[in-house]
Amino acid sequence: MDSEDDMHDANDMESVDEDFYSDGDGYGGDAADSDADVADYDFMGNETDDSDEQAVSRTQKNYTVLKEEDVRQRQEEDMMTISTLLSISREAACILLRRYNWSVNKVHEEWFADEERVRKSAGLLEKPAVSLSRVIDVVCGICFENFIPDDITSVGCGHPFCTTCWKAYITTSINDGPGCLTLRCPDPSCDVAIGQVMIDKLTSGEDKEKYYRYLLRSYIEDSRKTKWCPAPGCDSAIEYDLGSGSYDVTCCCSFSFCWNCTEEAHRPVDCDTVSKWILKNSAESENMNWILANSKPCPKCKRPIEKNQGCMHMTCTPPCKFEFCWLCLGAWSDHGERTGGFYACNRYESAKQEGVYDESERRREMAKNSLERYTHYYERWATNQSSRQKAMADLHQMQTVHLEKLSEKQSQPESQLKFIIDSWQQIVECRRVLKWTYAYGYYLPEHEKAKRQFFEYVQGEAEAGLERLHQCAEKELQTYLNATGPSKDFNDFRTKLAGLTSVTRNYFENLVRALENGLADVDSQGACSKAPSSKNATGSSKGKGGGRGKNSTKT
Amino acid sequence: MVDLARVQKELHECNRDVQVSGINVTLKGDSLTHLIGTIPGPVGTPYEGGTFKIDITLTDGYPFEPPKMKFATKVWHPNISSQSGAICLDILKDQWSPALTLKTALLSIQALLSAPEPDDPQDAVVAQQYLRDHQTFVGTARYWTETFAKTSTLAADEKIQKLVEMGFPEAQVRSTLEANGWDENMALEKLLSS
Repeated sequence: MDSEDDMHDANDMESVDEDFYSDGDGYGGDAADSDADVADYDFMGNETDDSDEQAVSRTQKNYTVLKEEDVRQRQEEDMMTISTLLSISREAACILLRRYNWSVNKVHEEWFADEERVRKSAGLLEKPAVSLSRVIDVVCGICFENFIPDDITSVGCGHPFCTTCWKAYITTSINDGPGCLTLRCPDPSCDVAIGQVMIDKLTSGEDKEKYYRYLLRSYIEDSRKTKWCPAPGCDSAIEYDLGSGSYDVTCCCSFSFCWNCTEEAHRPVDCDTVSKWILKNSAESENMNWILANSKPCPKCKRPIEKNQGCMHMTCTPPCKFEFCWLCLGAWSDHGERTGGFYACNRYESAKQEGVYDESERRREMAKNSLERYTHYYERWATNQSSRQKAMADLHQMQTVHLEKLSEKQSQPESQLKFIIDSWQQIVECRRVLKWTYAYGYYLPEHEKAKRQFFEYVQGEAEAGLERLHQCAEKELQTYLNATGPSKDFNDFRTKLAGLTSVTRNYFENLVRALENGLADVDSQGACSKAPSSKNATGSSKGKGGGRGKNSTKT
Repeated sequence: MVDLARVQKELHECNRDVQVSGINVTLKGDSLTHLIGTIPGPVGTPYEGGTFKIDITLTDGYPFEPPKMKFATKVWHPNISSQSGAICLDILKDQWSPALTLKTALLSIQALLSAPEPDDPQDAVVAQQYLRDHQTFVGTARYWTETFAKTSTLAADEKIQKLVEMGFPEAQVRSTLEANGWDENMALEKLLSS
């Protein structure tokens, strides 16, 4: 962490960001410029090499990754604690903990406040409700057959059931799902809980395994502080310190997700927007919009019709078969030479002049625009998504194959090539952020013109910067990878790529911060207020006058 | 597999005190997995005087899974579908316990007839009427009982007449017939043995 902080300080001193944001050329400019930029970051690049930090993390970790063994161990420890503390069996401790969502404190608190009530609600009896001593003949409460007491089993309450019925009862419940963890005595009036002792005694194989899997799962799922990693095939869980800043967590399987909504990590967009966006992507509503934009209802049977070719003379499909004019939607029989014939309907033109079609036309137009707008953002969101997947595959390839090869070719120790991994990790992260900026853009209100313009500008810059980094890490690296021997300028390449990585990281961090802030620094007049810190995205573009057309529109 | 021994025990047990409970379970065909239960409409409700048939299917998991029950007689009740006869009752779903029996389930259904739960309806139309226009609800429920849950009065009168002529008191004849789903022969047997 320390080295990271140092780095930020260094940034501030160098006012790297300011240059970067305020001067359009800092990023999108020509090559000579960028080389100059890179030179500035020289020492920083080296420092990154030494640091063990992940490319993106910048805050203190506020969560813990728990492997399955850790979960098991913690669960066991909690049961032991309660068992010792309350002087009850391990089984009873387990039942109590389950009842109070595995909170040791809560069990402790409630038990010492009112033991009797806790016992009742958890289903733990002190003495049996039914006594079977000195009975020779017992009727099982389920199959109604007679048994000698030895063949009868019961839990704390003493309600008698035969072993066969017990087994069937427990097995049925386990196969019904996690409800088996709260299984009670089969007697309808009895609330006594069935614990692990019965499970161990009466089940085996798959059923027993299932039960213990549910028990393990409940430890994570019932607690407010823990969640399973949603990545497919991952068995780890995340424990999160509630009320502690950023929700982004990264599991040991390298999957990053939002702890709050368990969707994939989505800074700078908030959880509500993400769920809206995901719903929108899957919703049928877009189909409706398409129909509205591209079709007209048959004037007779009202079925939507898409006109994909041909003349204005439409014939609806059977059984309707109504013939009508596409332009005015009037019956074709009313059309002829008088009305302008086959290709242009005068009735339509004159009615349009009178404004008859305005309302429905307008609605169609709006739907069409809104669909186009959505498609625009969706396509870019999806492209960055697939780009990110590709980058992840490339990163993996780099770590497993290319790095070794490169180390050989350029006679550099692998530890000196870490800057390449850093850059790829940065690319993956940036693709993620960039992807979500498109959802952000979609929901940015149309009427906030200044914000929109500014947003589009910084997004454009971010995109351009990332492209350059991606290009450098992908294409330029190839040269060194394919070289026959060590290249003279490999150190220059190192400097350039490390510099680009660092510049891009800073830019994206600022971008995320500015967007999370709701672009609060852009005021309604469309002018930019002076940024509170040199890191802020709004920078001092006004002062420098902006070298680019886009830039100048916002000032 | 359905626990057939238990089902047989249940049938025996249930039909032994049919006089008292009025609840009766018989085979539908020759299999022990399809049964017909009969419950008398509770006194003091719009269902009074009716005899309601319940279609019972036992799944392989019985008694560890609940029996499937639905009304075969049409009935107007917030927790029973007026269309399909489906019953909304917790013990027939997640609150079932293998220690319950067909008889206790039928008793619970009978109790449901006495005490509808309109806030947890199976039939929204009926439930709404129950809450907003109780008088009409009672009228409709009673009308449905008269129309669907009573052996046609004419035929019933004939049966009563026949047994009374054999020398049994009319009140006893009526109650015995009711308890036996208006089956003359069964009622006669009961009357003779009592």
